[in-house]
Amino acid sequence: LRIVSEYKKKSEENGFYDRNAAAKLHERIEKRQQVLAEDVERRKEARQSQSVAEEKSEYFVSSFNAERAGIQELLSDCSGADRPTVTQKLEEATAKMTQLQKFLNDSMIFLSQYQIRVAQGALQKLQASLNETREEALPKKKFTFRSRTKAAEKVSDSPPPPSSETVSSGVTKVEEAAISEQTGFSNISNESLTKTSEEIQSRDVLLTHLTNCKVRLYGSPSTLHLKHITACEVLCGPVATSVFVDHCSNSVLGFACQQLRTHNTTDTQVYLHVTSRAIIEDCRGVSFAPFCWSYPTLDQDFTASGLDQDRNNWSQVDDFNWLAAGTPSPNWTVIPEADRKTTWDP
Amino acid sequence: MGLLTILKKMKQKEREMRLLMLGLDNAGKTTILKKFNGEDVSTISPTLGFNIKTLEHRGFKLNIWDVGGQKSLRSYWRNYFESTDGLVWVVDSADRLRMEDCRQELSALLLEERLAGATLLVFANKQDLPGALTKEAIREVLALDDINTHHWCIIGCSAVTGENLLAGVDWMLDDIAARIFTAE
Ligand SMILES: Nc1nc2c(ncn2[C@@H]2O[C@H](COP(=O)(O)OP(=O)(O)O)[C@@H](O)[C@H]2O)c(=O)[nH]1
Ligand SMILES: [Mg+2]
Repeated sequence: LRIVSEYKKKSEENGFYDRNAAAKLHERIEKRQQVLAEDVERRKEARQSQSVAEEKSEYFVSSFNAERAGIQELLSDCSGADRPTVTQKLEEATAKMTQLQKFLNDSMIFLSQYQIRVAQGALQKLQASLNETREEALPKKKFTFRSRTKAAEKVSDSPPPPSSETVSSGVTKVEEAAISEQTGFSNISNESLTKTSEEIQSRDVLLTHLTNCKVRLYGSPSTLHLKHITACEVLCGPVATSVFVDHCSNSVLGFACQQLRTHNTTDTQVYLHVTSRAIIEDCRGVSFAPFCWSYPTLDQDFTASGLDQDRNNWSQVDDFNWLAAGTPSPNWTVIPEADRKTTWDP
Repeated sequence: MGLLTILKKMKQKEREMRLLMLGLDNAGKTTILKKFNGEDVSTISPTLGFNIKTLEHRGFKLNIWDVGGQKSLRSYWRNYFESTDGLVWVVDSADRLRMEDCRQELSALLLEERLAGATLLVFANKQDLPGALTKEAIREVLALDDINTHHWCIIGCSAVTGENLLAGVDWMLDDIAARIFTAE
Protein backbone atom coordinates (compact mmCIF):
# COMPACT_ATOMS: atom_id res chain seq x y z
CA LEU A 1 0.00 0.00 0.00
CA ARG A 2 1.20 3.40 -0.93
CA ILE A 3 0.34 4.98 2.36
CA VAL A 4 2.28 2.41 4.30
CA SER A 5 5.32 2.77 2.15
CA GLU A 6 5.02 6.49 2.44
CA TYR A 7 4.85 6.06 6.18
CA LYS A 8 7.71 3.61 6.12
CA LYS A 9 9.77 6.01 4.08
CA LYS A 10 9.01 8.79 6.48
CA SER A 11 9.88 6.66 9.46
CA GLU A 12 13.07 5.48 7.88
CA GLU A 13 13.96 9.02 7.16
CA ASN A 14 13.65 9.56 10.86
CA GLY A 15 15.95 6.67 11.36
CA PHE A 16 13.54 4.04 12.71
CA TYR A 17 10.79 1.76 11.47
CA ASP A 18 8.24 0.55 13.94
CA ARG A 19 6.46 -2.70 13.06
CA ASN A 20 3.79 -1.98 15.60
CA ALA A 21 2.99 1.36 14.07
CA ALA A 22 2.60 -0.24 10.67
CA ALA A 23 0.16 -2.78 12.06
CA LYS A 24 -1.80 -0.02 13.69
CA LEU A 25 -1.88 1.85 10.43
CA HIS A 26 -3.24 -1.22 8.61
CA GLU A 27 -5.98 -1.41 11.15
CA ARG A 28 -6.83 2.19 10.53
CA ILE A 29 -6.88 1.78 6.81
CA GLU A 30 -9.27 -1.12 7.11
CA LYS A 31 -11.46 1.00 9.28
CA ARG A 32 -11.32 3.76 6.73
CA GLN A 33 -12.32 1.39 3.95
CA GLN A 34 -15.34 0.48 5.98
CA VAL A 35 -16.13 4.09 6.60
CA LEU A 36 -15.87 4.84 2.90
CA ALA A 37 -18.34 2.10 2.08
CA GLU A 38 -20.71 3.46 4.67
CA ASP A 39 -20.20 6.88 3.17
CA VAL A 40 -21.42 5.75 -0.22
CA GLU A 41 -24.59 4.44 1.35
CA ARG A 42 -25.04 7.61 3.30
CA ARG A 43 -24.56 9.78 0.25
CA LYS A 44 -27.23 7.84 -1.58
CA GLU A 45 -29.65 8.48 1.24
CA ALA A 46 -28.54 12.06 1.48
CA ARG A 47 -29.33 12.68 -2.19
CA GLN A 48 -32.85 11.49 -1.59
CA SER A 49 -33.39 13.69 1.43
CA GLN A 50 -31.56 16.67 0.01
CA SER A 51 -34.59 18.35 -1.47
CA VAL A 52 -36.31 18.11 1.91
CA ALA A 53 -33.26 19.58 3.61
CA GLU A 54 -33.16 22.47 1.17
CA GLU A 55 -36.75 23.31 1.89
CA LYS A 56 -36.06 23.14 5.61
CA SER A 57 -33.03 25.38 5.46
CA GLU A 58 -34.91 27.94 3.36
CA TYR A 59 -37.61 27.97 5.98
CA PHE A 60 -34.98 28.35 8.67
CA VAL A 61 -33.30 31.33 7.03
CA SER A 62 -36.52 33.26 6.47
CA SER A 63 -37.91 32.57 9.97
CA PHE A 64 -34.59 33.33 11.58
CA ASN A 65 -34.31 36.66 9.80
CA ALA A 66 -37.88 37.62 10.63
CA GLU A 67 -37.35 36.85 14.31
CA ARG A 68 -34.07 38.73 14.31
CA ALA A 69 -35.68 41.83 12.79
CA GLY A 70 -38.36 41.66 15.49
CA ILE A 71 -35.74 41.66 18.24
CA GLN A 72 -33.83 44.52 16.60
CA GLU A 73 -37.03 46.52 16.51
CA LEU A 74 -37.63 45.90 20.22
CA LEU A 75 -34.11 47.15 20.96
CA SER A 76 -34.41 50.28 18.86
CA ASP A 77 -37.76 51.01 20.55
CA CYS A 78 -35.80 51.30 23.80
CA SER A 79 -34.00 54.52 22.92
CA GLY A 80 -35.73 57.42 24.58
CA ALA A 81 -38.33 55.23 26.29
CA ASP A 82 -38.99 55.39 30.05
CA ARG A 83 -37.51 52.85 32.45
CA PRO A 84 -40.49 50.50 32.84
CA THR A 85 -40.94 50.37 29.07
CA VAL A 86 -37.26 49.64 28.56
CA THR A 87 -37.34 46.90 31.21
CA GLN A 88 -40.35 45.31 29.58
CA LYS A 89 -38.90 45.54 26.07
CA LEU A 90 -35.58 44.10 27.19
CA GLU A 91 -37.32 41.22 28.92
CA GLU A 92 -39.25 40.49 25.77
CA ALA A 93 -36.10 40.74 23.66
CA THR A 94 -34.24 38.38 26.01
CA ALA A 95 -37.04 35.82 25.86
CA LYS A 96 -37.08 36.04 22.07
CA MET A 97 -33.31 35.63 21.94
CA THR A 98 -33.64 32.43 23.95
CA GLN A 99 -36.24 31.10 21.55
CA LEU A 100 -34.13 32.03 18.58
CA GLN A 101 -31.13 30.25 20.08
CA LYS A 102 -33.21 27.16 20.61
CA PHE A 103 -34.53 27.38 17.08
CA LEU A 104 -30.95 27.47 15.82
CA ASN A 105 -29.90 24.57 18.06
CA ASP A 106 -32.80 22.49 16.81
CA SER A 107 -32.09 23.32 13.19
CA MET A 108 -28.38 22.54 13.23
CA ILE A 109 -28.93 19.02 11.96
CA PHE A 110 -29.93 20.18 8.50
CA LEU A 111 -27.95 23.43 8.22
CA SER A 112 -24.58 23.76 6.54
CA GLN A 113 -21.51 24.74 8.54
CA TYR A 114 -21.62 28.09 6.79
CA GLN A 115 -25.25 28.72 7.67
CA ILE A 116 -24.59 27.81 11.30
CA ARG A 117 -21.66 30.21 11.46
CA VAL A 118 -23.68 33.03 9.95
CA ALA A 119 -26.60 32.45 12.30
CA GLN A 120 -24.30 32.21 15.32
CA GLY A 121 -22.59 35.43 14.31
CA ALA A 122 -25.93 37.16 13.95
CA LEU A 123 -27.04 35.92 17.36
CA GLN A 124 -23.84 37.13 18.96
CA LYS A 125 -24.21 40.56 17.40
CA LEU A 126 -27.77 40.71 18.59
CA GLN A 127 -26.72 39.70 22.08
CA ALA A 128 -24.08 42.43 22.08
CA SER A 129 -26.55 45.12 21.09
CA LEU A 130 -28.99 43.81 23.68
CA ASN A 131 -26.28 44.15 26.31
CA GLU A 132 -25.42 47.60 25.04
CA THR A 133 -29.02 48.72 25.21
CA ARG A 134 -29.36 47.32 28.71
CA GLU A 135 -26.12 48.96 29.79
CA GLU A 136 -27.25 52.32 28.42
CA ALA A 137 -30.78 52.27 29.74
CA LEU A 138 -30.16 50.44 33.05
CA PRO A 139 -26.48 51.00 33.89
CA LYS A 140 -24.73 48.78 36.42
CA LYS A 141 -21.70 49.48 38.52
CA LYS A 142 -18.45 48.26 37.01
CA PHE A 143 -16.01 46.27 39.06
CA THR A 144 -12.36 47.18 38.75
CA PHE A 145 -9.25 46.20 40.58
CA ARG A 146 -7.34 49.02 42.20
CA SER A 147 -4.20 48.04 40.37
CA ARG A 148 -4.80 45.86 37.41
CA THR A 149 -1.86 44.07 35.88
CA LYS A 150 -1.22 44.29 32.17
CA ALA A 151 -1.70 40.56 31.82
CA ALA A 152 -5.24 40.75 33.06
CA GLU A 153 -6.24 43.19 30.36
CA LYS A 154 -5.40 40.98 27.45
CA VAL A 155 -8.11 38.75 26.16
CA SER A 156 -7.18 35.12 26.07
CA ASP A 157 -8.29 33.18 23.06
CA SER A 158 -5.43 30.78 22.89
CA PRO A 159 -3.03 29.47 25.47
CA PRO A 160 -0.83 32.40 26.38
CA PRO A 161 2.95 32.08 26.25
CA PRO A 162 4.41 31.06 29.59
CA SER A 163 4.45 34.29 31.47
CA SER A 164 7.38 35.38 33.56
CA GLU A 165 5.10 37.81 35.27
CA THR A 166 3.82 36.04 38.33
CA VAL A 167 0.32 37.03 39.23
CA SER A 168 0.24 38.22 42.78
CA SER A 169 -2.47 36.65 44.88
CA GLY A 170 -5.68 38.20 43.65
CA VAL A 171 -7.61 36.82 46.54
CA THR A 172 -7.14 39.67 48.94
CA LYS A 173 -8.18 42.06 46.20
CA VAL A 174 -11.32 40.09 45.65
CA GLU A 175 -12.04 40.14 49.33
CA GLU A 176 -11.66 43.91 49.28
CA ALA A 177 -13.95 44.06 46.31
CA ALA A 178 -16.43 41.82 48.05
CA ILE A 179 -16.69 44.25 50.88
CA SER A 180 -17.35 47.23 48.63
CA GLU A 181 -19.65 45.47 46.16
CA GLN A 182 -21.76 43.42 48.48
CA THR A 183 -24.10 44.64 51.11
CA GLY A 184 -24.84 43.04 54.45
CA PHE A 185 -23.78 42.81 58.08
CA SER A 186 -20.85 41.14 59.80
CA ASN A 187 -19.29 40.72 63.25
CA ILE A 188 -22.23 42.03 65.24
CA SER A 189 -23.86 40.75 68.45
CA ASN A 190 -27.11 41.54 70.24
CA GLU A 191 -28.59 44.02 67.78
CA SER A 192 -31.59 44.59 65.55
CA LEU A 193 -30.46 45.04 61.95
CA THR A 194 -32.52 46.21 58.98
CA LYS A 195 -31.93 46.82 55.29
CA THR A 196 -34.43 48.50 53.03
CA SER A 197 -35.53 47.46 49.59
CA GLU A 198 -33.42 50.18 47.95
CA GLU A 199 -30.29 48.97 49.73
CA ILE A 200 -30.54 45.37 48.59
CA GLN A 201 -32.45 45.38 45.31
CA SER A 202 -30.75 42.94 42.92
CA ARG A 203 -27.53 42.90 44.94
CA ASP A 204 -25.77 40.11 46.79
CA VAL A 205 -26.46 40.18 50.49
CA LEU A 206 -23.95 38.66 52.89
CA LEU A 207 -24.43 38.09 56.62
CA THR A 208 -21.42 36.73 58.52
CA HIS A 209 -20.47 36.21 62.16
CA LEU A 210 -23.70 37.42 63.73
CA THR A 211 -24.70 36.33 67.22
CA ASN A 212 -28.02 36.89 68.88
CA CYS A 213 -29.23 39.41 66.28
CA LYS A 214 -32.61 40.09 64.74
CA VAL A 215 -32.20 40.76 61.01
CA ARG A 216 -34.88 42.05 58.63
CA LEU A 217 -34.08 42.34 54.93
CA TYR A 218 -36.89 43.97 52.99
CA GLY A 219 -36.58 43.65 49.23
CA SER A 220 -35.32 41.23 46.61
CA PRO A 221 -31.59 40.42 46.60
CA SER A 222 -29.89 38.49 43.82
CA THR A 223 -28.36 35.97 46.21
CA LEU A 224 -28.23 35.68 49.99
CA HIS A 225 -25.30 34.20 51.93
CA LEU A 226 -25.50 33.40 55.64
CA LYS A 227 -22.26 32.27 57.26
CA HIS A 228 -21.45 31.70 60.93
CA ILE A 229 -24.83 32.71 62.30
CA THR A 230 -25.61 31.83 65.91
CA ALA A 231 -28.88 32.33 67.79
CA CYS A 232 -30.27 34.82 65.27
CA GLU A 233 -33.64 35.42 63.68
CA VAL A 234 -33.16 36.31 60.00
CA LEU A 235 -36.02 37.17 57.64
CA CYS A 236 -35.52 38.14 54.02
CA GLY A 237 -37.70 38.97 51.01
CA PRO A 238 -37.73 36.90 47.79
CA VAL A 239 -34.21 36.02 46.57
CA ALA A 240 -33.96 35.80 42.77
CA THR A 241 -31.55 32.82 42.69
CA SER A 242 -29.95 30.91 45.56
CA VAL A 243 -29.66 31.17 49.31
CA PHE A 244 -26.55 29.73 50.93
CA VAL A 245 -26.55 28.83 54.58
CA ASP A 246 -23.27 27.68 56.11
CA HIS A 247 -22.30 27.13 59.76
CA CYS A 248 -25.54 28.30 61.23
CA SER A 249 -26.85 27.15 64.60
CA ASN A 250 -29.78 27.64 66.97
CA SER A 251 -31.40 30.13 64.65
CA VAL A 252 -34.70 30.84 62.94
CA LEU A 253 -34.57 31.77 59.26
CA GLY A 254 -37.28 32.81 56.81
CA PHE A 255 -36.97 33.58 53.10
CA ALA A 256 -38.17 32.80 49.58
CA CYS A 257 -35.74 31.69 46.87
CA GLN A 258 -35.22 29.51 43.83
CA GLN A 259 -32.72 27.13 45.43
CA LEU A 260 -31.55 26.67 49.02
CA ARG A 261 -28.18 25.13 49.79
CA THR A 262 -27.59 24.46 53.46
CA HIS A 263 -24.25 23.25 54.85
CA ASN A 264 -22.86 22.54 58.34
CA THR A 265 -26.00 23.76 60.04
CA THR A 266 -27.52 22.51 63.28
CA ASP A 267 -30.71 23.04 65.26
CA THR A 268 -32.15 25.67 62.97
CA GLN A 269 -35.68 26.32 61.77
CA VAL A 270 -36.25 27.43 58.19
CA TYR A 271 -39.52 29.04 57.10
CA LEU A 272 -39.10 28.49 53.43
CA HIS A 273 -40.54 29.29 50.03
CA VAL A 274 -38.46 27.49 47.41
CA THR A 275 -39.50 27.17 43.79
CA SER A 276 -37.06 24.39 42.87
CA ARG A 277 -35.37 22.49 45.69
CA ALA A 278 -33.69 22.78 49.05
CA ILE A 279 -30.66 20.66 49.86
CA ILE A 280 -28.82 20.05 53.11
CA GLU A 281 -25.33 18.69 53.54
CA ASP A 282 -23.50 17.96 56.80
CA CYS A 283 -26.49 19.18 58.79
CA ARG A 284 -28.36 18.01 61.89
CA GLY A 285 -31.61 19.11 63.47
CA VAL A 286 -32.76 21.35 60.64
CA SER A 287 -36.54 21.75 60.44
CA PHE A 288 -38.75 23.28 57.77
CA ALA A 289 -42.11 25.03 57.50
CA PRO A 290 -43.68 27.18 54.78
CA PHE A 291 -42.56 30.81 54.53
CA CYS A 292 -45.11 32.98 56.32
CA TRP A 293 -43.46 36.36 56.84
CA SER A 294 -45.13 39.31 55.22
CA TYR A 295 -44.49 43.02 54.77
CA PRO A 296 -46.23 45.70 52.70
CA THR A 297 -44.20 45.37 49.48
CA LEU A 298 -43.77 41.58 49.52
CA ASP A 299 -45.90 40.96 46.41
CA GLN A 300 -43.96 43.56 44.48
CA ASP A 301 -40.68 41.97 45.54
CA PHE A 302 -41.93 38.56 44.46
CA THR A 303 -42.56 40.00 41.03
CA ALA A 304 -39.13 41.62 40.94
CA SER A 305 -37.45 38.34 41.91
CA GLY A 306 -39.16 36.41 39.15
CA LEU A 307 -40.14 33.68 41.63
CA ASP A 308 -43.44 31.89 41.24
CA GLN A 309 -45.44 32.68 44.36
CA ASP A 310 -47.69 29.67 43.81
CA ARG A 311 -44.94 27.09 43.62
CA ASN A 312 -43.44 26.15 46.98
CA ASN A 313 -41.48 22.91 47.45
CA TRP A 314 -40.50 23.68 51.05
CA SER A 315 -41.02 20.10 52.23
CA GLN A 316 -38.99 18.39 49.47
CA VAL A 317 -35.53 18.52 50.96
CA ASP A 318 -32.62 16.52 49.53
CA ASP A 319 -29.94 15.45 51.98
CA PHE A 320 -26.63 14.97 50.22
CA ASN A 321 -25.42 12.75 53.04
CA TRP A 322 -28.48 10.54 52.80
CA LEU A 323 -28.72 9.05 49.38
CA ALA A 324 -30.75 6.01 50.44
CA ALA A 325 -34.03 6.06 48.56
CA GLY A 326 -37.16 5.18 50.49
CA THR A 327 -35.97 5.92 54.01
CA PRO A 328 -36.19 9.56 55.05
CA SER A 329 -33.09 11.42 56.21
CA PRO A 330 -32.76 11.71 59.99
CA ASN A 331 -31.09 15.10 59.60
CA TRP A 332 -34.18 17.17 58.88
CA THR A 333 -37.86 17.28 59.85
CA VAL A 334 -41.05 19.19 59.16
CA ILE A 335 -42.06 21.57 61.97
CA PRO A 336 -45.45 20.33 63.27
CA GLU A 337 -48.20 22.79 62.42
CA ALA A 338 -49.00 23.48 66.06
CA ASP A 339 -45.40 24.53 66.72
CA ARG A 340 -45.02 26.91 63.79
CA LYS A 341 -44.55 30.61 64.30
CA THR A 342 -47.39 32.64 62.84
CA THR A 343 -46.48 36.15 63.87
CA TRP A 344 -43.17 37.93 63.66
CA ASP A 345 -41.82 41.02 65.39
CA PRO A 346 -41.31 43.91 62.98
CA MET B 1 -2.67 13.32 0.14
CA GLY B 2 -0.20 13.29 3.02
CA LEU B 3 -0.33 10.79 5.82
CA LEU B 4 -1.42 13.40 8.28
CA THR B 5 -4.40 14.34 6.16
CA ILE B 6 -5.46 10.73 5.85
CA LEU B 7 -5.22 10.09 9.54
CA LYS B 8 -7.11 13.28 10.17
CA LYS B 9 -9.91 12.21 7.85
CA MET B 10 -10.16 8.78 9.40
CA LYS B 11 -10.40 10.00 12.92
CA GLN B 12 -12.85 12.68 12.04
CA LYS B 13 -15.39 10.00 11.25
CA GLU B 14 -15.56 9.13 14.87
CA ARG B 15 -16.47 12.66 15.78
CA GLU B 16 -17.39 11.94 19.35
CA MET B 17 -16.13 13.97 22.25
CA ARG B 18 -16.47 13.64 25.93
CA LEU B 19 -16.76 16.81 27.95
CA LEU B 20 -16.82 16.97 31.72
CA MET B 21 -18.47 19.93 33.38
CA LEU B 22 -17.26 20.71 36.88
CA GLY B 23 -17.24 23.60 39.32
CA LEU B 24 -18.44 24.51 42.78
CA ASP B 25 -22.09 23.98 43.52
CA ASN B 26 -24.35 26.79 42.34
CA ALA B 27 -21.91 27.82 39.59
CA GLY B 28 -24.57 27.17 36.97
CA LYS B 29 -23.42 23.87 35.43
CA THR B 30 -26.84 22.32 35.15
CA THR B 31 -28.30 25.56 33.85
CA ILE B 32 -25.65 25.76 31.13
CA LEU B 33 -26.31 22.20 30.08
CA LYS B 34 -30.06 22.75 29.91
CA LYS B 35 -29.74 26.07 28.14
CA PHE B 36 -27.46 24.57 25.57
CA ASN B 37 -30.08 21.94 25.02
CA GLY B 38 -32.85 24.52 24.73
CA GLU B 39 -34.66 23.40 27.88
CA ASP B 40 -36.44 25.51 30.48
CA VAL B 41 -33.90 26.90 32.96
CA SER B 42 -36.22 28.46 35.51
CA THR B 43 -36.82 25.37 37.61
CA ILE B 44 -33.41 23.78 38.05
CA SER B 45 -32.80 21.88 41.29
CA PRO B 46 -29.44 21.29 42.94
CA THR B 47 -27.95 18.26 41.20
CA LEU B 48 -28.04 15.01 43.09
CA GLY B 49 -25.33 12.81 41.58
CA PHE B 50 -24.88 13.81 37.95
CA ASN B 51 -26.61 14.60 34.65
CA ILE B 52 -25.45 13.13 31.38
CA LYS B 53 -26.56 14.66 28.12
CA THR B 54 -25.62 13.84 24.59
CA LEU B 55 -25.83 16.80 22.25
CA GLU B 56 -25.19 17.12 18.55
CA HIS B 57 -23.25 20.20 17.61
CA ARG B 58 -21.49 21.03 14.35
CA GLY B 59 -21.65 17.42 13.37
CA PHE B 60 -19.95 16.36 16.57
CA LYS B 61 -21.55 14.21 19.18
CA LEU B 62 -20.88 15.74 22.58
CA ASN B 63 -21.29 13.61 25.66
CA ILE B 64 -21.48 16.09 28.47
CA TRP B 65 -21.28 15.00 32.07
CA ASP B 66 -22.51 17.53 34.61
CA VAL B 67 -21.21 16.30 37.94
CA GLY B 68 -22.84 17.63 41.12
CA GLY B 69 -20.72 20.21 42.91
CA GLN B 70 -21.57 19.35 46.48
CA LYS B 71 -18.71 18.76 48.91
CA SER B 72 -19.62 15.16 49.64
CA LEU B 73 -19.58 14.42 45.92
CA ARG B 74 -16.30 16.12 45.07
CA SER B 75 -14.31 13.02 46.01
CA TYR B 76 -16.26 11.11 43.35
CA TRP B 77 -15.36 13.50 40.56
CA ARG B 78 -12.35 11.42 39.58
CA ASN B 79 -14.64 8.49 38.74
CA TYR B 80 -15.70 10.41 35.67
CA PHE B 81 -12.27 11.52 34.52
CA GLU B 82 -11.40 8.61 32.24
CA SER B 83 -11.06 9.60 28.58
CA THR B 84 -12.14 13.18 29.03
CA ASP B 85 -11.36 15.30 25.97
CA GLY B 86 -12.39 18.60 27.46
CA LEU B 87 -12.97 20.00 30.91
CA VAL B 88 -15.46 22.81 31.32
CA TRP B 89 -14.86 24.59 34.61
CA VAL B 90 -17.81 26.76 35.54
CA VAL B 91 -17.38 29.75 37.84
CA ASP B 92 -20.13 31.78 39.51
CA SER B 93 -18.65 35.19 38.72
CA ALA B 94 -20.71 36.85 41.43
CA ASP B 95 -19.61 34.49 44.19
CA ARG B 96 -16.61 36.42 45.48
CA LEU B 97 -16.79 34.64 48.80
CA ARG B 98 -15.80 31.31 47.35
CA MET B 99 -13.30 32.39 44.67
CA GLU B 100 -10.42 31.10 46.74
CA ASP B 101 -12.18 27.77 47.20
CA CYS B 102 -12.77 27.77 43.46
CA ARG B 103 -9.10 28.43 42.69
CA GLN B 104 -7.94 25.61 44.96
CA GLU B 105 -10.36 23.08 43.51
CA LEU B 106 -9.36 23.92 39.97
CA SER B 107 -5.64 23.75 40.59
CA ALA B 108 -6.02 20.41 42.39
CA LEU B 109 -8.03 19.12 39.46
CA LEU B 110 -5.40 20.07 36.93
CA LEU B 111 -2.90 17.86 38.75
CA GLU B 112 -5.06 14.80 38.07
CA GLU B 113 -3.17 12.42 35.84
CA ARG B 114 -6.28 11.20 34.10
CA LEU B 115 -7.09 14.73 32.97
CA ALA B 116 -3.67 15.33 31.48
CA GLY B 117 -4.05 16.65 27.95
CA ALA B 118 -7.68 17.66 28.34
CA THR B 119 -8.56 21.08 26.99
CA LEU B 120 -9.76 23.48 29.68
CA LEU B 121 -12.56 25.95 29.11
CA VAL B 122 -13.34 28.27 32.00
CA PHE B 123 -16.84 29.70 31.86
CA ALA B 124 -17.07 32.94 33.87
CA ASN B 125 -20.80 32.46 34.27
CA LYS B 126 -23.57 34.80 35.49
CA GLN B 127 -22.19 37.83 33.66
CA ASP B 128 -25.76 39.15 33.59
CA LEU B 129 -25.64 39.81 37.35
CA PRO B 130 -24.79 43.35 38.44
CA GLY B 131 -22.23 42.06 40.96
CA ALA B 132 -20.38 39.76 38.56
CA LEU B 133 -16.59 39.88 38.34
CA THR B 134 -15.29 40.34 34.80
CA LYS B 135 -13.56 37.47 33.07
CA GLU B 136 -10.26 39.35 33.32
CA ALA B 137 -10.65 39.59 37.10
CA ILE B 138 -11.45 35.90 37.34
CA ARG B 139 -8.53 35.03 35.12
CA GLU B 140 -6.32 36.78 37.63
CA VAL B 141 -7.92 35.36 40.76
CA LEU B 142 -7.80 31.81 39.44
CA ALA B 143 -4.19 32.38 38.32
CA LEU B 144 -4.99 30.98 34.89
CA ASP B 145 -1.83 32.49 33.43
CA ASP B 146 0.16 30.05 35.55
CA ILE B 147 -1.38 27.06 33.79
CA ASN B 148 0.98 25.55 31.25
CA THR B 149 -0.13 21.93 31.40
CA HIS B 150 -3.40 22.38 29.51
CA HIS B 151 -4.69 24.45 26.63
CA TRP B 152 -7.10 26.87 28.23
CA CYS B 153 -9.43 29.76 27.53
CA ILE B 154 -11.72 31.86 29.69
CA ILE B 155 -15.04 33.11 28.35
CA GLY B 156 -17.59 35.32 30.09
CA CYS B 157 -21.10 33.97 29.69
CA SER B 158 -24.58 33.81 31.08
CA ALA B 159 -26.52 30.58 31.27
CA VAL B 160 -29.69 32.56 31.77
CA THR B 161 -29.44 34.68 28.61
CA GLY B 162 -27.39 32.10 26.75
CA GLU B 163 -24.74 34.68 25.92
CA ASN B 164 -21.43 33.19 24.72
CA LEU B 165 -22.30 29.58 25.56
CA LEU B 166 -21.89 28.54 21.94
CA ALA B 167 -18.75 30.63 21.52
CA GLY B 168 -17.18 28.75 24.43
CA VAL B 169 -18.14 25.32 23.20
CA ASP B 170 -16.98 26.23 19.70
CA TRP B 171 -13.55 27.20 20.96
CA MET B 172 -13.35 23.95 22.85
CA LEU B 173 -14.39 21.82 19.88
CA ASP B 174 -11.84 23.52 17.66
CA ASP B 175 -9.09 22.98 20.18
CA ILE B 176 -9.95 19.34 20.81
CA ALA B 177 -10.43 18.63 17.13
CA ALA B 178 -7.06 20.13 16.29
CA ARG B 179 -5.48 17.96 18.96
CA ILE B 180 -7.11 14.54 18.71
CA PHE B 181 -8.21 14.45 15.09
CA THR B 182 -4.80 15.20 13.69
CA ALA B 183 -2.04 12.73 14.50
CA GLU B 184 -1.45 10.71 17.63
N1 LIG C 1 -28.35 35.34 37.03
C1 LIG C 1 -27.88 34.15 36.68
N2 LIG C 1 -28.17 33.08 37.42
C2 LIG C 1 -27.70 31.87 37.04
C3 LIG C 1 -26.91 31.72 35.86
N3 LIG C 1 -26.59 30.40 35.75
C4 LIG C 1 -27.16 29.77 36.80
N4 LIG C 1 -27.84 30.65 37.57
C5 LIG C 1 -28.59 30.35 38.80
O1 LIG C 1 -27.67 29.80 39.74
C6 LIG C 1 -28.29 28.79 40.52
C7 LIG C 1 -27.51 27.51 40.46
O2 LIG C 1 -27.54 26.96 39.15
P1 LIG C 1 -27.28 25.40 38.88
O3 LIG C 1 -27.29 25.22 37.40
O4 LIG C 1 -28.18 24.58 39.69
O5 LIG C 1 -25.78 25.25 39.43
P2 LIG C 1 -24.87 23.93 39.53
O6 LIG C 1 -24.83 23.55 40.96
O7 LIG C 1 -23.51 24.35 39.06
O8 LIG C 1 -25.48 22.88 38.65
C8 LIG C 1 -29.72 28.68 39.98
O9 LIG C 1 -30.54 29.44 40.83
C9 LIG C 1 -29.64 29.28 38.61
O10 LIG C 1 -30.86 29.85 38.20
C10 LIG C 1 -26.60 32.91 35.09
O11 LIG C 1 -25.92 32.89 34.06
N5 LIG C 1 -27.12 34.08 35.56
MG1 LIG D 1 -26.22 21.12 39.11
